Parts: sequence; C-alpha cells; structure tokens
Amino acid sequence: MISAGTFHVISTELTIGMFALSGVAFLLCAIQKGPISRESVAHWALLGGLIATPFAIVSGVNAVPGGGMDEPILANKLLLSMTSAGLAVGILLRRKWGGQVNLRHSSIGMLSVGLMLVTAGMGGEYSRGETLLLFIPKETVMLFPTWASIVLLIIGVAIVGKSTIEHRA
Amino acid sequence: MRFKVAFVLLLMILSTTISTANPGGKGDSVRSRDCAGSCHASSSTNGISEADLDIQYPDQVYAGLLMEIETWISFVEVSSNNMVGVSLLVNDEGAKDLPGIDGWEVVTDPNGGTNNYVEIVDSFSLQNTVRQTWTLRAPSSPGVYELYVAVQHGTPDGGVAMTGISDAKQVTVGEVPENLPRLSPEWEPVNTRLIGEETEITLQLLNTDTAFVELKGSNQDPIPVVDNKFTIPAAVNPGTVEWRVIMIGEGPTQQSPWFRITAQEPGWEVDEFALYLQGFALFILCVGLVILQRPRSEGIESNKYDNTEDVTSQFGRIQESSPVMVDQSVNNPPIPEGGLPEGWTMEQWEYYGQEHLDSLARGGQQ
Repeated sequence: MISAGTFHVISTELTIGMFALSGVAFLLCAIQKGPISRESVAHWALLGGLIATPFAIVSGVNAVPGGGMDEPILANKLLLSMTSAGLAVGILLRRKWGGQVNLRHSSIGMLSVGLMLVTAGMGGEYSRGETLLLFIPKETVMLFPTWASIVLLIIGVAIVGKSTIEHRA
Repeated sequence: MRFKVAFVLLLMILSTTISTANPGGKGDSVRSRDCAGSCHASSSTNGISEADLDIQYPDQVYAGLLMEIETWISFVEVSSNNMVGVSLLVNDEGAKDLPGIDGWEVVTDPNGGTNNYVEIVDSFSLQNTVRQTWTLRAPSSPGVYELYVAVQHGTPDGGVAMTGISDAKQVTVGEVPENLPRLSPEWEPVNTRLIGEETEITLQLLNTDTAFVELKGSNQDPIPVVDNKFTIPAAVNPGTVEWRVIMIGEGPTQQSPWFRITAQEPGWEVDEFALYLQGFALFILCVGLVILQRPRSEGIESNKYDNTEDVTSQFGRIQESSPVMVDQSVNNPPIPEGGLPEGWTMEQWEYYGQEHLDSLARGGQQ
C-alpha cells in the first residue's frame, strides 16, 4: 500500500493536470482560436478534474501531520478549492443546459481553473515552504460568522433550485 | 532536420550525470545504517567519508539514568547545503544496530526529537568540528557497551553519497549507588511551552536533600528547587531554553543532562464547523451564481444547432412538389354483405380486397 502522502501527490497531479488542460482550452474558447474541439476539451477536462478533486482533498487531509486545521493556509486551501469546485460545477451545468460558450462562460471557467491552481500552489508552500505566489495573503483567513454562512447557503440553494425549475419548465 | 533534432536530444541525454544522493535529506527518523542502501541508491556506489568521528561520554554513567553525550564530526567537506545525516548506532554491521537493541533510549536528539538519525545543517568544513548533544537513558543493566556515530553526506561537487562510521566507543555503565541523588526514572521532562507564560516544572528527586537549577547561557543565579518545583521565567520570543538540575545529597553530587524547553507561538485555531459550513456555502453559491448567468433570451442554443426552420421549409417544398396524397380510407373496397372472407383481416382487405373482388367478378372462385 502507498501512504496518504503519495496518494495525495497522485490525485493532485491528476486534478491539476486536467484543470490546467481545461484552462488552456477555455482560453482558446475565449479568444475564439484553435481547434473546434476546444469546447469539448475544456468541459470534459474540467469534469475529469472535478472527479479527481475529492480524492485529492481527502488524501490531503489524511496526509497532514497534525491531522487538523491548524494552519491558516489549510483553511484558505479549503475555501479556495470549494469556491473553484462550485464555479466548475456551475460551468458544467450551464453548458449541459445549453448555455453558450461565450467570453463570459470561458472567463468563469478560467477563473475556476485559476483558483484551483492557486490552491495547489498553497499546498506546495505548506509542504515545502516555497512559492511563487508571494503576493497572495495566504496567512489571512476571511471566516464569516456562522449566521452569514447559513444565509449564503440559503441564497445559493434558492438560486440553484430556481434555475433548475426554470430549466425544466 | 529530424536527424538533427534526434542528434541534439541524444547529445543532451548522454550529457546528463547520475546522482545517487538525496541532497535534501530524508528527514529525522529511527534508522538503521542500512539506510545507506535504501536512501542513497546502491551502497556500492557510495563513497567513503573522510570525516573524523568521535563520541564524548560523561565521567560516570549509571544504569537506567539519564546521561548526556556529545558527537563530534570534524574535517569533512559536504555539499553546498551543509547538511550531514548523523546516526547513533550500536554496531557497524548495518543491521540490528539501533540503540534500543542494547537498551539505550534516545530521550532528546540534537534536533529536539527522539530519533537516532538526525540531519544536521551546520558549518561543516575541513577546518571545523561540529559538536552535537544527545540525551540518552542508559541501559538498565550494568556492563560495558559500545556506541558508534555514523554520517552520510554529499560532496562539494555533488553526485556521490559519502558514508562513514566511527570506531567503537566503549562506555562502562555502572550500578546506581543506593544513595545517589538522581531524578526518578519515571520523571519525564517538559519539552514545549507557550510564549509569555512562566513555566513551573515539577521534578521527582530521589536521595536529594538540596537541588537547584542552572539555565544555560544565563547570568542569573541558580534557581532553587522548592518542594520539588521550580519556575522558568516567561519567554518573550520563540526559542529554546536549556536547563539542568544540580542534586546534592548523601551520595556524590549529581548533574542532570541539559534539558531543552522550546517556547512556541500559540497554535492557530479555527472553528472548523464554521469553516466547513462557509466552504459548502461558497460551493453552492458559486454554482448558483454561474447557472444564473444564462439570460432568458439566450434560449437553448437554438441559433447554433437548431435547424428546425430549415427542415420545415424544405419539407414544405417537398409537400408542394409531391403528388396529391389520396386518402386510402375513402377508396377502400366495399365489404361483402357476408362480411370479410374467412381468415382475412381488415388491413388485408384494404390492400387486397379490390383485387379479390375483381377476381370474383371475372368468375373466379370465392
């Protein structure tokens, strides 16, 4: 068997590789250049990255020496990865429901990819203490009060529910 | 052109060097010396270190009691990161050589852990001697024991893993005198504390009438031990304080090893429930905000893939140019008074009934 750390490296490389491919394809979609398969590549790679993401998260949590959320950088990783995954799921749903792959759609896709790459970069800084993302305040965690998170959650569920009903109608 | 590219690639591959070392180290751990094979490729490719290695013992070592030794590493050239892996072993055979085999216990290694293999970054050079302090608990059985110090390091040019091991360094572990002032074997030192807090440490002393504590590098007077307790002043910054206790009793006066207590910043804490809730809320909110981006006028991408209009118009043209379709039901042959012939269905009658009637009219068999 392999350790959680090794499995985390494998799953992270899968995730980041597919997200990076998706990001390049979304860039081509945004500038309307490149092969006609760019739209399919962007969305399928994003889906692949999303599938690998939970494995990366779970193995990463198991690989942390302390076993808990004892560093601000870990908390920021969680928030960034969830935001990125949310954007990615939204992009895929929007596409499945027939949304056009225009500049706005591609930009959101690239934003999702960018957030996931920043998340991975922060993981590298956590394990090795080195990063190129010097300008990002990784030690500052913007944590909402619980009530604010609940309000956001309710708003999000309401929007998703409304959009789903509209789509079915 | 392809040949040139292939030639350049081949040249680049052939120009690579083979490195057998781990220049960044493998981390402190409890390791046997056969690590030379597992950590640094094949041991057959290792070089022999020219480091001068030694172990310094205290004058008296008592069975089961704490003691402090120094390992000396001299006259060695290492790689540019100045890292040397140092092992404390009980034989030079590469197997069954952990200190625990002979009953030694590493209480504090030079890096503050409890490992027999540590990676030291220091000013190693051909002119320097680097000394490291280990706190050990001696074997519980008196006798003559041997310890070895082994090293692993790189070279200034890189590429080769160097290994070396000292000669056997003998130490005599004696019986504990009955009246020897000492720390109880059950006592465990405190290793960490928070910044800004005084630290009260409780000792378990045996055969001791008076005791006081010395702080290493401090100009303060010794701190008296009252009711087996003493207090170390609060630390202002992160760092390590080393202290030892001087025990006076009927037996010979004893000094404990230097103990280290490290002052740390308070750990970062977060309400994990709030954090996970916020993460999930952000996930759902982002999903909602993105799928909300579909304008009502955009429709279901009708412009790109919906060819309904083309098909409808073409179908209309086809209908206009086709012969008029005749409603077959109007021209069905009349059903005989006796009903359909035996074995016929209505569908068969619609298609073949007229032919049947015509054959009857020509005098055929009914």
